[in-house]
Amino acid sequence: MRLQLAILSLRRHVSRTLLAMLGVTVSAAMLLDMVMLATGMRESFSSLLGRNGFTIRVSPRGTLPFDSEATIARAGDAIAQMKAVAGVTAVAPVLGTTIHALGSAEPVTAFALGIDPAVQGDYELLSGAEPAAGDALVASDALLRATSKAVGDTLDVAIGFDPQLRTYAGRRRLVISGRARFLYLSETDRAAAMQLATVQAMGGTQRADRASLFMVRTAPNVDPEQARAAIERALPRVTALSTAGAVAEAEKRLSYFRQLAFILGAVSLGVGFLLVTTIVTVSVNERIGEIAVMRAIGVSRLHIVQQIVIEGIGLSLAGAVSGLLLGLVTARYLNSILSAFPGLPDAIDFFLFQPSAAFRALGLLVASGIAAGVYPSWRAASLPISTTLREEAVG
Amino acid sequence: MLAPEPGAVSGDTVRVAAILERRADPSEVARSEYRIRLHLDHLQRLISYGDRVDRFAVLSAGGDAADSVLKSVNQAAFGFRAYPSREIAVETSKTFLVVSRFHRAIGVITIVASATFLLCIMLLKVDERRRDVAAMRLMGISRSTVIRSVMVESSAIALVGSVFGVGLGFIVSAFVNSHYQAVYQTPLRFAVITPGTVVFSVVLSLLLGIGAGALAARRLARTPPLALFGR
Repeated sequence: MRLQLAILSLRRHVSRTLLAMLGVTVSAAMLLDMVMLATGMRESFSSLLGRNGFTIRVSPRGTLPFDSEATIARAGDAIAQMKAVAGVTAVAPVLGTTIHALGSAEPVTAFALGIDPAVQGDYELLSGAEPAAGDALVASDALLRATSKAVGDTLDVAIGFDPQLRTYAGRRRLVISGRARFLYLSETDRAAAMQLATVQAMGGTQRADRASLFMVRTAPNVDPEQARAAIERALPRVTALSTAGAVAEAEKRLSYFRQLAFILGAVSLGVGFLLVTTIVTVSVNERIGEIAVMRAIGVSRLHIVQQIVIEGIGLSLAGAVSGLLLGLVTARYLNSILSAFPGLPDAIDFFLFQPSAAFRALGLLVASGIAAGVYPSWRAASLPISTTLREEAVG
Repeated sequence: MLAPEPGAVSGDTVRVAAILERRADPSEVARSEYRIRLHLDHLQRLISYGDRVDRFAVLSAGGDAADSVLKSVNQAAFGFRAYPSREIAVETSKTFLVVSRFHRAIGVITIVASATFLLCIMLLKVDERRRDVAAMRLMGISRSTVIRSVMVESSAIALVGSVFGVGLGFIVSAFVNSHYQAVYQTPLRFAVITPGTVVFSVVLSLLLGIGAGALAARRLARTPPLALFGR
């Protein structure tokens, strides 16, 4: 009965109801997008870092991974010391450098990683084989395209290339053993990975026994934070960062987007609330006489309040459901804009749909719809019946 | 200024000659690292870099002169390449282009949301005048006069609302600037209200106000006056 009356009341002003629903839909879509933006970066960055089970990153003291060209000396000793820390199950060393693929008129520049193929966590092999030998490398599709090479071809690679003097710190001919997708780079980045010893040897004395970063895997039952602290105690020349710490650092740098999401999300919620409140209030004011008649024939105050609240819920719910669909479409579009950030890993999504967060936000919108209906309905149901009827009759 | 022979000796003393303020450079906004400036020769000696530099910035007379300098440098120089500042600016501003596109998209969504809200409010506002309109019609005032008067009223409301909105916009932008300037320690302005922005928002709200007013007024004027009275 209450539901039927609420539906009839909403249908009485179809254009107004549709317009209000449209407003709530856009507000709900915006709210959903902002919730996805606020939580998406954290979740996708966290899941990217947590891939392959690496829970700790170790970089030169005072720096973040690959934030500077600084490297960690005596990498071999450092690996041994970290492996001795309780709970550490594997250590993956990484040495980053710039390589130049020679052979064409202009050398092709690419980012190269020296890794241990047995424990690496920087790339996924798409085809071919791991660089098991010292004269092998795996390359990204972008590098293969730029050099017009394929798996099985040989690449003339130089490290420490001085374009002015045309000299190199090291130069080798390496066989492309496989194609790889680099997890922390974008699809357009030219990248290669080879054995750590190869990069160290090609880099000369400046790179000998050095690493830019260590990725540390810990046992599942070990708190990464404790292992991190133990690593920093054992190696005072490094900074160890747990996945949670790295996510917090990334959030600090991208705090602008989080704040923007919070502000716009709050504004969307406020606009949705105001819209439903306005519509319900006006609708109630128009029906003061009708409500007084209902009260006069014995309809309870609670019944009237419930009917009007159902109207508010109906508007919010319909808007929230269509807003969910619109929000997913706009989030996809906004994500495609932000994914064009230079150097952003492909695996990072700014807008990530998480059912719990999304439904919480939309639930909040519906709750605001309920709140929007309570006050005007209670006020209308509490008006003195005879006075209201007389005023309405006299007009 | 560094000591005359800085080398790389542990224990060297460095005197801070001046404190620099960060430039209003968007590319430096997200960077939180500490920065120092040294004389070129001091830094070369400190890091044993020899007589080398990473890049040169060349000042030219501009226009065609810049192009001819670029051409002659690229023809004469061996092992390095000259780029016009314009090209470098395009390359280094990609991040800001992405952010700018994102802001534009968010802006469009916000405009749609606020336009719907405004339209809804204006329709309700005009709808509230049903009894007045009925009285005017019964007194013999023509339909067109009624429509015009309702439209003038809704335009006035939209105009006053936009003036308040512009004022609120200035306050919010001042807050945004002071907040982010403090967060990123930069004199860069994050929110700028241009005359174009003001004109756009005022015109948009006026159009919406007038549109909503016209729509609602036409509907009211077509309804028989007694029906507007609820009879």
